[in-house]
Amino acid sequence: MDRTLLGIFTALGGALLLVGLTFSRSVDAPADLRFNNGTEPKTLDPHLMTGQPEHRLASALFEGLVRRDAKSMRPAPGVAKSWDVSPDGKRYTFHLRDDARWSDGHPVTASDFVYSWKRLLDPKIASEYAYIISQVRYAEALNTYDGHAESLETAMAKALAALAAANQSGVPGKEWQKFLSKNRVNDPLRGQNDPTLNELLVRRDGVVTRAELEWMQGATKGIAGDLRRQAAEARAHFGVDGGIIAVDPHTLVVELRAPTPYFMELLTFYPTMPVPRWLVENPKRRDDWFLPEHIVANGPYVLKRWLVNDHMRLERSETYWGKEQVKSRAVDVLVSDNDTTVLNMYLTHAIDWDPEQYPRELGKELRRRDDFVLTPGMIVYFYKINTTRPPFDDRRVRKALNLAIDRKAIVERILGLGQIVAKTFVPPGIPGYVPPASAVETNPEAARALLAAAGFPGGKGFPEVGILYNTNQGHKTIAEYVADQLRKNLGIKANAYNQEWQSYLETVRSLDYDIARAGWVGDYADPNTFLDILVTNGGNNQTGWSSSLYDRLVQSAADVGPVVANPESLLAELQNGDAVRTLVNAVRNAASPTDGLAAQAKLRMQLLQEAEGVLVRDEFPIIPLYFYVTANFVSPKLRGFYTTLHFDDGTTGPNLMDDHPLRDIWVDHEASP
Amino acid sequence: MTSRGRAVTGVVGVAVATAGLAVALGPLSGVMLVLGLALVASTAWLGPRGARVVGTLLGTLVVFGVARAAWNPVVGAVLAVVFGVLAFRSLPTMVMRRIAFLVPSLVVLIFTTTLLMYRAPGSPFAQERVATPQVEAALRAHYGVPKSATAFFGIYMKRLVVDGTLGPSIKVQGRSVEQLLAPALPVSMTLGLLALVIATVTGLALGLRAGLEPNSPADYASMGLVLVGVSLPSFVIGAALMIVFALKLGVLPVAGWGGYKHLVMPAVTLALPYSAYIARLARGGTIEVMQQDFVRTARAKGASERDVVLRHALRGAILPVVSFLGPAAAGILTGSFVVETLFDVPGVGQWFVRGAINRDYSVVLGTAILYASLVTGFNLLVDLAYAWLDPRVRGQP
Repeated sequence: MDRTLLGIFTALGGALLLVGLTFSRSVDAPADLRFNNGTEPKTLDPHLMTGQPEHRLASALFEGLVRRDAKSMRPAPGVAKSWDVSPDGKRYTFHLRDDARWSDGHPVTASDFVYSWKRLLDPKIASEYAYIISQVRYAEALNTYDGHAESLETAMAKALAALAAANQSGVPGKEWQKFLSKNRVNDPLRGQNDPTLNELLVRRDGVVTRAELEWMQGATKGIAGDLRRQAAEARAHFGVDGGIIAVDPHTLVVELRAPTPYFMELLTFYPTMPVPRWLVENPKRRDDWFLPEHIVANGPYVLKRWLVNDHMRLERSETYWGKEQVKSRAVDVLVSDNDTTVLNMYLTHAIDWDPEQYPRELGKELRRRDDFVLTPGMIVYFYKINTTRPPFDDRRVRKALNLAIDRKAIVERILGLGQIVAKTFVPPGIPGYVPPASAVETNPEAARALLAAAGFPGGKGFPEVGILYNTNQGHKTIAEYVADQLRKNLGIKANAYNQEWQSYLETVRSLDYDIARAGWVGDYADPNTFLDILVTNGGNNQTGWSSSLYDRLVQSAADVGPVVANPESLLAELQNGDAVRTLVNAVRNAASPTDGLAAQAKLRMQLLQEAEGVLVRDEFPIIPLYFYVTANFVSPKLRGFYTTLHFDDGTTGPNLMDDHPLRDIWVDHEASP
Repeated sequence: MTSRGRAVTGVVGVAVATAGLAVALGPLSGVMLVLGLALVASTAWLGPRGARVVGTLLGTLVVFGVARAAWNPVVGAVLAVVFGVLAFRSLPTMVMRRIAFLVPSLVVLIFTTTLLMYRAPGSPFAQERVATPQVEAALRAHYGVPKSATAFFGIYMKRLVVDGTLGPSIKVQGRSVEQLLAPALPVSMTLGLLALVIATVTGLALGLRAGLEPNSPADYASMGLVLVGVSLPSFVIGAALMIVFALKLGVLPVAGWGGYKHLVMPAVTLALPYSAYIARLARGGTIEVMQQDFVRTARAKGASERDVVLRHALRGAILPVVSFLGPAAAGILTGSFVVETLFDVPGVGQWFVRGAINRDYSVVLGTAILYASLVTGFNLLVDLAYAWLDPRVRGQP
């Protein structure tokens, strides 16, 4: 045979042989439960992770003091078999079960939690979710005060000196606010009880004089020293005799700064889960202790395999105290983020559960299927308004924007999956929370009047408005619709434009936009998780908006004590303080500590409601558009999966957090399809 | 051009380039980039002996680095010495020249890529939820990603040369970039090889058939098929295959990786455009070679048509295909983002895109190094294959 032909056939044959040889991967027994988890988790370290896919894995591999009961989402015994709360609501005593074990056989003890929470708060490990336990005594000081002092002493001191040197005759209020926002001073200076300082921080009109700048330089130095002292104190006490205390191996005490009604719920959240000290402290394992070859955990499953971009295999843990309740022996966790592929895999029964992934354009079609389950979620879709940019610094303009958009059309015509029109910022359904009366509605007439009052009759003279969204077909459709509404209803020129995710984050962060698309997912079922982002100069505020009343309301809700002691100054600022006054009196006149706690919880919700009122009735730094529904494709064979929750008192409600613990899910392979 | 003329052009060119880059990138980066490019260019002036020495030296270093990362320093040293001796004594100068060129160009590649990455807005640590400056500073320190591109370049090169690692991934924590790419590369290569075989066989067959009888119905039919293959994007082909074979017939799995059945659809999808391209090249080559004198001579000697086609036409048809196969192989073996995402294949292709989207700097650099090495390597293979296939090329240095 010819040499060329021979060569070609040898090369091709060799290539095929290579294919055969490299493709000799062992395929093990099929899993009992297979589902797609969306994206590859960044890490499995519960103190460092963020996101929903990570949450599913964390609660499968680890277990905190309590876990979420699959049927009701209420805290159920986890490592703690029971707990008591002190009458003032500030001291929790947890009784840990004797048979809680790490997967290497070590018992899980109270000191494991003390260590883990200390680690979570250690600024060196840079946990993004450390703030979740900031209601625990000393926690915030331990986590942030040294860093705040550092930035006050260095960056802030330098910036203030430069500002003072450059402006001999003082700084105009607007420039001053820009300076504060750029230097992110709010975090370190937040919550100081100095009226002069607090007034300075929110000054927008007039001038900050040179003397005031000098005073500020001295004050920040003093505050920095104070923060350092408090951080040192926290280090000395936290985990020893304050904050979190291991009384004995099976008794754990947690102290709070103030009664926190949702505290137990936080304990189901992954940042509060324990990590194996002997492993994470091993310098060689510091970064990769959670890989299958090393990991030790205490949850219902162990991690057997993790092939990146392919799948993870979880197997029932033999050391888990409740292993009889875990019905799935092996679980395969897939990580495809291609919507069409995932849907096809579900349709061909390759997976039993597909959370959230389907081609959006097929939504209305798919809605007819029985196994496509839609549930209201704790997620809000809204637009941020850059309030530092004229004319958006005028609240009439912001209100006009809010009134000009037909949200019902977005929800019904564009989305069509039962999303809910958002007239407020906090999603509905949070137990005990009543949303404030909102001024957000569709009223082009009133919107035009407001715009005219602000000096732009018929939109004349209004600058061109850019609506920024991160590249995504769904966001695009909505942004273009909104732009069209603004054109039609207000006569202003609006353009929707997109940026790829990282650029978008950067643009929004540096306030280089007019209007920007945003979304926010609640971490727990409480208004605080939403309202907290819009406090002055908060890292996620990104609108440049600031209101001292709003800040005070949110802060008072975190600890109602000061308001109960001295309600008058706050009441003076509220347009209608009757509700707050009544509730303050109820707290004061409570007959028993239990009644007092209940009254405090009510007052807290009232304060949050007043805060939200500032957003949607007076100030409008945002344009709420709609509340999400979460979508799950659920195989009819799936058991232990609840999108409708069943509470102890016989009532039902939607699974707002869209949480479905793997511990309790299983596939009934006997069931007819 | 005379050597003097060349030198003048070179100096002027370098001066202009330096000035331009210094303005665009800042003085330090600009000068560093020009110096790097000069270093790469200077390898062209190496004489045969110089190429031999430099190539051996650099090659030994690379072998040591790779072997140390894969096994341990002792194995690395042994392999490096063995390679050095063998290479110096018996590898062709052409290969040594390539190695001498490859290593400095990789350094320049890393530097340029770093500059480009840092120019893109955002950072690997940017999240929807804003981290405090302290948290970000701690993360930057931990992952060795300072705010300046040149400082990062320094850290990265130190990690690469001294520690022998491609650095940690920031978005898939707990693993280094080599730990991410190592399991993904065989996956992409398996798929790529299979696709390459399918593409070559079908492409050659179609092209040869068409080229032997140009403008015949057979030609039009083949080329029509080819047109479809070239113009349909792989996400359409892939989706169509998926609908037919997975959803309707149910004979193949939709997506995933693990069994031979998982190979079929992605390999075919990946192969189709390449197959079409190869068919066109082969057709052109065949038409050209069939008009050559030696074919007429062969026919005159009374060679059978089968012999003419297999001995002569095939060879002519293959030459353009071979030069295409070099870079194509580098591309196809490093996987395709579209095909890998569509069929959920855990290959390298995804990392090219994910690295960039996530601003995961070390992953971006790792994939760039991998791709550049493969392209250079396959081009070398193509040169060697040419020397073997085409008598006219043989004997040239």
